[in-house]
Amino acid sequence: MLSFIIRRLLLIIPMALLVITLTWVLVRIAPGNFYTGEKKLPAAIEENIKKKYGLDKPWYQQYGIMLWNTVRGDFGNSLKYERETVNELIWRSFPYSAIIGLLAYILALAIGLTAGIIASLKQNSGFDYGSMSLAMLGLSVPNFVLGPILVLIFSLWLYWLPPARWSLSGIILPVITLSAIYAAYIARLTRAGMLEVLRSDYIRTARAKGLDEKTVLLRHAVRGGLIPVVSFTGPALAGLLAGTVVVEKVFAIPGLGNIFIQAVLNRDEPLILGIVAFLSILIMVFNLLVDISYGFLDPRIRYE
Amino acid sequence: MARIGFYRFRSILAIFLLSSFLISCASSANNRYFGKTQLPKDNVLRYISGSESESLDPHISSGQPEARIYGALFEGLVEYDPKTLQPIPSLAESWKVSPKVDEFIFNLRKNGKWSDGTPITANDFVYSFRRGFDPETASRTASLGYFIKYAEAFNGGQVFIERNGKFITQDDVAEAPAAPETPTPFGTETDTRRFLQSPDRLTIDGSPLKQAQTVEPDPKLKEFFKFTTADLKNAPSLANKIKSAGDPLTKYLSANIAPDALACATEAACSDAAKQTLADGLNKAADANWFFAQDWFAQVNWSPTAKKLADAVAAENKKRETANQKIDEEIAQMTDEAKIAEKAKTKKKPLGKLFYANRVWLEQSFPDELVPVSLVPVKGEDIGIEAVDDYTVRITLRQPAPFFLGLLTHQFFRLVPRHVIEKWGNDWTRPEHIVTNGSFKVKEHIPYDRLIVERDPNNWDAANVRLDGIEFYPVEEQATQLNLYKAGSVDAFLNHTVPASWVEEVRQYKDEYMNLPENATSYYSFNVTKPPFDNQKVRQAFSLAVNRESLAQFRKTSKPLYYQSPSGIFPDYDKAMAKVGEEIRQEKKISPEDWEKQKKQFNPELARKLLGEAGFPVQQSGNTFSCPAFPTDKVSLTFNTNESNRQIAEFVQAQWKQNIGITVPLQNMEFKTFLPHRNALQYQGMAISLWSGDYMDPYTFLGLQYGAQNDGGSGFQDATYDKMLDDANAELDPQKRYEKMARAEYYVLDKLPSMPLMITATNWMKKPYVKGLYPNPGTLFAWKFVYIERDPNKWDTDVENIMNVTDPQVEAQLKALKATMGE
Repeated sequence: MLSFIIRRLLLIIPMALLVITLTWVLVRIAPGNFYTGEKKLPAAIEENIKKKYGLDKPWYQQYGIMLWNTVRGDFGNSLKYERETVNELIWRSFPYSAIIGLLAYILALAIGLTAGIIASLKQNSGFDYGSMSLAMLGLSVPNFVLGPILVLIFSLWLYWLPPARWSLSGIILPVITLSAIYAAYIARLTRAGMLEVLRSDYIRTARAKGLDEKTVLLRHAVRGGLIPVVSFTGPALAGLLAGTVVVEKVFAIPGLGNIFIQAVLNRDEPLILGIVAFLSILIMVFNLLVDISYGFLDPRIRYE
Repeated sequence: MARIGFYRFRSILAIFLLSSFLISCASSANNRYFGKTQLPKDNVLRYISGSESESLDPHISSGQPEARIYGALFEGLVEYDPKTLQPIPSLAESWKVSPKVDEFIFNLRKNGKWSDGTPITANDFVYSFRRGFDPETASRTASLGYFIKYAEAFNGGQVFIERNGKFITQDDVAEAPAAPETPTPFGTETDTRRFLQSPDRLTIDGSPLKQAQTVEPDPKLKEFFKFTTADLKNAPSLANKIKSAGDPLTKYLSANIAPDALACATEAACSDAAKQTLADGLNKAADANWFFAQDWFAQVNWSPTAKKLADAVAAENKKRETANQKIDEEIAQMTDEAKIAEKAKTKKKPLGKLFYANRVWLEQSFPDELVPVSLVPVKGEDIGIEAVDDYTVRITLRQPAPFFLGLLTHQFFRLVPRHVIEKWGNDWTRPEHIVTNGSFKVKEHIPYDRLIVERDPNNWDAANVRLDGIEFYPVEEQATQLNLYKAGSVDAFLNHTVPASWVEEVRQYKDEYMNLPENATSYYSFNVTKPPFDNQKVRQAFSLAVNRESLAQFRKTSKPLYYQSPSGIFPDYDKAMAKVGEEIRQEKKISPEDWEKQKKQFNPELARKLLGEAGFPVQQSGNTFSCPAFPTDKVSLTFNTNESNRQIAEFVQAQWKQNIGITVPLQNMEFKTFLPHRNALQYQGMAISLWSGDYMDPYTFLGLQYGAQNDGGSGFQDATYDKMLDDANAELDPQKRYEKMARAEYYVLDKLPSMPLMITATNWMKKPYVKGLYPNPGTLFAWKFVYIERDPNKWDTDVENIMNVTDPQVEAQLKALKATMGE
């Protein structure tokens, strides 16, 4: 088990460097520069800028510097927002995204698991149809539609909640918006997983042994029924924590998704690379955690 | 299954009905004001400022969102008038302009202070200006200040050339040197002024290759680099070295210099004639192709400069060779004689004979014998800004620029604190370090979330700053901005931001919706370097086929643009345009009615005729037209991806289809991909351009097509037009200058390198209780005039006319400020 984890952790390093290299190449191929603006710059000014940011060096030197910075975990200052280092920017933005993401995750799990389990137990009942059609709706309404509708109702019509910006009451709408699609998906996955497990032999065995229904459900059925949910929610949590562009834009949340999209539009190379490195490591770690948790949920899976 | 389907259908239907009901509730315009209108508790304005500011350093960022923030945090010599944007006194109490409009003297107020209490003196301005132009600052807006003497040379890392104790001046190399002028006295005479008023020194690029390329083709300039006897520091030693002829260089020289000159082995034997012969021999060597032809040249003991130069020359020659080969290949495929000749002209000769480079090399080969040409880097101290005394600043320009005073309101010319920058370097703008001098100072800055500023008690005018503070919120999404505004979370938001789908609704709120013309134009650039738009008639035809009035009606938030510069922004220039227009009308004997019609730039019939004359006849069948000869595969209309750009493009596309029967394909690109594509003239046919004026003078628009490296995006260059504008700017009488500029504008309107479309409108909103915030042509604010009116009876109404309403408070404040100006 331990050697498996160490192997996977070590694998993260070359993977991250590969991702960084590919990103760097893509950024370099993309036309335009961080200083490109509607107004054309005189050649002398462009020279000054290139000199200041080391863009006048040959590409292999620039690549080398970039790799070295990546390994050291120091991406330097953002090009567009030069007063700040990339690390500062990431560490300041990440908590905003993480708080909203975590709350949305908890909400999605709470709603999704409850609805899914109840629906699976009362298959073909009114609750089952009702909750599953609502989940279908949740899946098919994208968050850039749901968000504005919620704003319309709760902010512009009822004036109950602020329509955007970070505040205690301001995060309610983005959390709901963000969680809707996940709650719906989890509900459906749970229901499907549970239905399959409830029909399986070992549940029948458990019942035949005379276990009471509560134990059958909680000790045996739920554990097996949740495997598909875990394999979905693990990476989903990474995605949620990392911030979502649409929700952060619509609600003007100063999170990671917001600065990431800006960085790309601004061609802010160090910031793009920093965020990509951060996100790729985050996602790889979460995938690892998911793989490990399989071992606890499903006795058939063992890691060597 | 059927039941599930039915349930699902019903729930979807229910949500649909509910949301459409809500939308209809939310958008009913029964109220006088848009959404929640409630006075804020504090005397603090909450303003959406658009994208997060790039930097709080006014030398760094170039954007308008930042300009508004700098307006609160930093002051310069002059400030924007809240309505007209004309310069009004700020740290400068009063100023004087020299009769030639190339020198300005500013008298500073003595109570100017930084937010940490440090007094502000003339030296702060000198420091700020020098820092702005310093190549290491790498300011993106520095070119705005190139009117200041030697500022461009300093910013571009250029050098002066000193020869035998004298600097080469512009007049030395001019084709027809102007008669020397005796400098007219203006203010206190100082060494700095004597230097700045002496004839303009010649500056050339700092890089050796570019130096060689500047000197080489200019015979007059080349003359200055010929060796004279004065350049021989030690003639006998030189003669000895050549005579002993050890390496190929000395061998070459000894073969080319008369032996009697080499006989001057001692100082006594070195006659003037012998020295002259030596100098002539060196000149001959410098002018020879021989050096660059020698292989050993790369192996001998090179000085780094000469080596760099030779490498650069080799690289340049290789580039030219490849380019020439490509041209040859293209020529091989062409048949038209005239076009071949045209193409052959684009071939470039290799740089073989590099007189200047050889001269540099000779100097370096004989460091003890020859006096080198001194290249003196242009320094910050050389530029045309001077602290005459602690409270007097003088700015000297390289040319008369009547609009320069208005330019000084720009962020680039606002003060930065020397004592803080020298202490903290690039970190000086962090909230814990930053020191400002504006009406407000930084209280809290959380990037991407908020920038909170509060009134600075140290500001000289703090008593007249009406707000306690401003909260700037960086919010980018237009819909989100409007939501925040409607929910009453903010009091105003930045310009160009009401989404198109909301304009119809929002414009009913006449006390809040700000929609006046801006100092900005939107146009389509033609690529005049490629057919078919290299043909003036084709350009004119495309322009005449678009009805700008209906475009403006369609857009709702803009006014039609008929010229290169926007009308209605510069009232005196509008008068000049009318006057010159009338003169042209009489010259061309056009009836007043036709002229009125012609002004609208819409005449489909003429458009079709012009296309026919250009070789693309338009055919008519019934009410529709077609133009089969026109190469639609060679043109497209390119724009950066954006909903409103698309709408405009589709509208114009439909007009062309309808009026000249040509369907131009549309092409959209991401913004930063589009810009280099357009600027490098890679686009086919037409590309969208938007220009917001840098200062309040029509020259900011007319200059778009001026010179070889202009910002017009068309590849247009016209010597006649350039001359007309130069003449206009040399004109000292403002109205006459405008008339000359108007002439130039009519001229370029006929050439039509770009097709005018619209004058953009401000398009933003503010709550009625916010006063002193005007929809001026640049949406730039002097924040100290802004206040929150607690009495609903005094709130702004009918803001369409707000520019004509006098606000007694603002007027009194303005009057007090202007009182210091005298006159």
